[in-house]
Amino acid sequence: MPVTALRTTSTAQNGVGAFILQCKRLDFHYCDQWGSSKGMNTFLCSPLIASFAKAHPQITIHISPRPNTHPIIRGTYINGREKVICVRNLEKEQILQKVELLRDANGEKVKRVKGGRVVGSLNEGVRGVWDPFHGGNKDILGDRIVIN
Amino acid sequence: MKGLRLLRWSGSVLSPRTRPCCFLHKYQYQYRAQPFNLFRLQSSAAVPTRTIPEPEDDTLPPDPTDYTLLPSPPPSRAHSSARLSALHARLVLPPRLPLETLARCLIDPSADVNPNFNNASLSILGHDLLGYYTSEAILCRYPRLPTEVTLAAVYAYCGSKTLAAITREWGVEVAAAPGGEVDPGFLQCARQEAGNASVNGTGTQLKDLSNLSEEVSTRPNPEQQMRGWRQGASSKTVYDDYFGDEIKRTETDYSERPELRQEDAQRKAERRVTLEQASTGFVRALMGAVYLHAGKKACYNFFKAHVLSRHLDVSRLFEFRQPTRDLSKLCAREGFESPVARMLSETGRKSRHPVFVVGVFAGKDKLGEGSGGSLDEARIRAAVGALKGWYLYSPLEVRVPSEATEGKPWEPVLVDGGEVVV
Repeated sequence: MPVTALRTTSTAQNGVGAFILQCKRLDFHYCDQWGSSKGMNTFLCSPLIASFAKAHPQITIHISPRPNTHPIIRGTYINGREKVICVRNLEKEQILQKVELLRDANGEKVKRVKGGRVVGSLNEGVRGVWDPFHGGNKDILGDRIVIN
Repeated sequence: MKGLRLLRWSGSVLSPRTRPCCFLHKYQYQYRAQPFNLFRLQSSAAVPTRTIPEPEDDTLPPDPTDYTLLPSPPPSRAHSSARLSALHARLVLPPRLPLETLARCLIDPSADVNPNFNNASLSILGHDLLGYYTSEAILCRYPRLPTEVTLAAVYAYCGSKTLAAITREWGVEVAAAPGGEVDPGFLQCARQEAGNASVNGTGTQLKDLSNLSEEVSTRPNPEQQMRGWRQGASSKTVYDDYFGDEIKRTETDYSERPELRQEDAQRKAERRVTLEQASTGFVRALMGAVYLHAGKKACYNFFKAHVLSRHLDVSRLFEFRQPTRDLSKLCAREGFESPVARMLSETGRKSRHPVFVVGVFAGKDKLGEGSGGSLDEARIRAAVGALKGWYLYSPLEVRVPSEATEGKPWEPVLVDGGEVVV
């Protein structure tokens, strides 16, 4: 048997070919009585939400009352996680900022990226890993190494 | 090369779902929970003589909005599903692909056996397109790959595991149970029970039951294949599918040759699928639907965006048994001098962790180089490096045969002799 093969799967690189927006659902919850929902109710009645929904047809938008609580926005993501933001006492422009934050999130837990400039790649480096046996002009003479 | 004009004969594949109309009524009668059909369409057989005890309240026709009578959501509901149109927008599908067809792609044959409403026909077309585009891309990019590695690379791009992952990454959710009342944006399939689930009231596991035996292969002499006959790599290109797996008999084979069914009496009566199989069918069906509705170019762009753009390191698919022997056979076949391993440098020969760097030379040409903790390891790594260097040759400009149908003149690509036979 000269050579056999190992079965694997290819890995996705979102954005290299197609880009799939990771946010797939936004739930808006408001309250008719509480004053903390004032900005949220204005937002839901304003053209802001309609224009947002039109610009993002890949997100399903659900609006429902949640009486006697603060208003929240809940984003559901393709990886199955959720992200919830409480928007009590916020103006409608501030709420739009939160909506855009939820839209741009990928649903992963927020993690600190240590080390300053971190670049991740699936490909091997073109130069390879440094090793002491290549690159320098070395001659081996018996047990003595001469470095020119 | 002349392109197939599939759009002309695709009417039979597309007709019911793409034209939402008053089809629902007829469909419901077909699936009413009755012992046999009262409505007999285009039938020349005699009317059954049995009298049906009619219930008194049967004078009213069934409620046309009672979707629970249907095995899968009707096409008329496709436009009212937010989930479905969000999926359409998320995948940036061409606008010529209607929501009804997308909904049909999501219906697995295990959920709805009617071929006019499930994705079986689209899935067959999509499977062939996926296999064709992937294998031509790999064969033209790496013309010297061994057969086994080519099959594994095709599997890595469009095998069932990958397509299931693609379905997950597209955000497609699965319905808990299929039915007419379910949102058409869910993937509809009847899920197979886990093999380690026990049968009701007994301690027996499902996988131990005899009627769950393997499906029968389409290779000649399937009963002898089961006895462990050896299958060579080259026979895979003749008998098997794009990934080198055996092709199993399907419902289509049984309907064309009913005598096969009696041979395979042990087959399961009810077809249930795993999530992986249902997801695979969905992606394939969507590929076929894009081809039929939007044409070849849109289909190829869809394939490139979602399948070919995925990352695969082909050099990691190799598994060599005796690379030094393979290399000497390869050199003999190609007319090189027989390979000789020579040490290039070393350190700490008497230490706990020595490192040797060995090169493989054919005459004055260095074919490969490898380092390792012992002389043998370094030599074998050098031979593997040399073999990969040969097999992974890739031309600078890659052209695939499917481009030739788009008006550009075709230039032949390299056809290699294949791997060495040892």
